[in-house]
Amino acid sequence: MEITVTQAQGKVPVTIFHIVGDIAADTSGQLETQARQAIESGTRHLLLDLSQVPFVSSYGIRTISQIFTWLRDREGGEDDAALKKGLNDGTFMSCCLKIVNPSKRVREALSVTGIDMFLEMHNDMDKAIASFN
Amino acid sequence: MYSRLSISADVKNLPVLRHFIEETGARLEANHEAIECLIQAVDEAVTNIIIHGYRGGPGNIAIQMDREENALIVSLRDQAPHFDPTQIPHSDLTESLEHRQSGGMGMHLIRHFTDKVAYQVTPEGSNELTLWKKV
Repeated sequence: MEITVTQAQGKVPVTIFHIVGDIAADTSGQLETQARQAIESGTRHLLLDLSQVPFVSSYGIRTISQIFTWLRDREGGEDDAALKKGLNDGTFMSCCLKIVNPSKRVREALSVTGIDMFLEMHNDMDKAIASFN
Repeated sequence: MYSRLSISADVKNLPVLRHFIEETGARLEANHEAIECLIQAVDEAVTNIIIHGYRGGPGNIAIQMDREENALIVSLRDQAPHFDPTQIPHSDLTESLEHRQSGGMGMHLIRHFTDKVAYQVTPEGSNELTLWKKV
């Protein structure tokens, strides 16, 4: 798996991870390490470009969820109980981590595991960048 | 005519496994969608065997793939301690992902992307998990 990092300026600075390859148990550690380094270096809004990712396993999904937690911890905001309530009634969406251009199969895996309950998925890069605020 | 692959229980071998499913599925003239679904399911199952069955220790996993009429069939055999993954409870999607039972999300995906899953202990004492996907 390869990850290329770019920066974009929407309403806020957005870090974009352009990922090429499968995100599975053999590669998710690399994504986790690179995301942690970016967050420790100041990244607060992260967009995962999955247009070149054919496959995401449960380990990849767990890593994406961990990244969401790290960004949420940095941002502060609602507590766990409020988060769970927001997930249950469909009112919560992450302000800090989003996904762009997942394939049909990857989108299906993300949906089946419920990650689309709190992560926005976009089909357009410019609109995805603009959605962060 | 079935195809076989044997891998050691190491996540570094997962790309070989995924490639095997893709190549064999194409050779068996299955549609691309069915192949993609099986790649997902088999990767999840084998990852669970490596991490939860062999617990990261040494071991071997034998994969056999075949087609019967309108279904692709993949069977996985290992010598890890006996465990029936079909008994793992269904995931609670409202639970935060890091709190869900480890391996449970994988089984959830396996159930979604296949049409049938069955487990048995073979006469030789191996775990055998069989996955079916209609083509």
